Amino acid sequence: MKAVHLQIPADADYIDLVRNCLLGVATKLGFSYEDIEDMKVAVSEACSNAVLHGTREDGGGNAVIDVAFEANGERLMIRVVNYGNPFAHADARKSASSIQGDQPSELRVGGLGIYLMEALMDEVQMNSDEQRTEVRLMKYRG
Amino acid sequence: MKMEPFRMEQYETNEQFVLKLGGELDLAVVPQLQVAVEPYLRRTDLAMVLDLEGLVYIDSTGIGIIVSILKTRDSVNGPFYVRNIPPTVRRLFDMTGLTGYLK
Repeated sequence: MKAVHLQIPADADYIDLVRNCLLGVATKLGFSYEDIEDMKVAVSEACSNAVLHGTREDGGGNAVIDVAFEANGERLMIRVVNYGNPFAHADARKSASSIQGDQPSELRVGGLGIYLMEALMDEVQMNSDEQRTEVRLMKYRG
Repeated sequence: MKMEPFRMEQYETNEQFVLKLGGELDLAVVPQLQVAVEPYLRRTDLAMVLDLEGLVYIDSTGIGIIVSILKTRDSVNGPFYVRNIPPTVRRLFDMTGLTGYLK
């Protein structure tokens, strides 16, 4: 399958369109129902982060999110790119965890999105520089 | 697995405030849910019940708001229950560790 590209405004109201596109692409590629459900959540998490971090504080930058679906014989790779301020992804990944705390009053949920991406995909890569932040989500076939 | 917009329906009995959620709960609709629960968060005369039967999708932002409801209800000693959790949602609750904190 050739690459499929989608550009949405960096706005939460458009994330459902990315899920819908993912559903179409992954169904076409023959992924299982469960894999598709996993990828739907992971790609949404990447887009939520892109919406939250994809707008520059000075109002500059390009307030869009670029999503690319690129498949080969072994895997589907989904790239989610935003053009906001550089994101300290190494620190964010280190502190990403499931919900922690012995008592309800101590519960904290920071980093849950990254934790889920890592749990739901086979491989997650992140890189960030002055211009852009890119998340690559990989799911291998069967 | 088709696209379903988020929806909410609420009612009150003598003992409970019930909020039924349906469709897709993500970052875009979390503010609507916050507004709906806010007036009841600190009420101890009513138990708060989230009925998730119609929910077809949730992600970390939806799970985050459930955790924040849980914390507030715990701090005021108000009962809080999450009911009718669909299997795909349940799987994410298990994965994130939320299940262990629900009654």
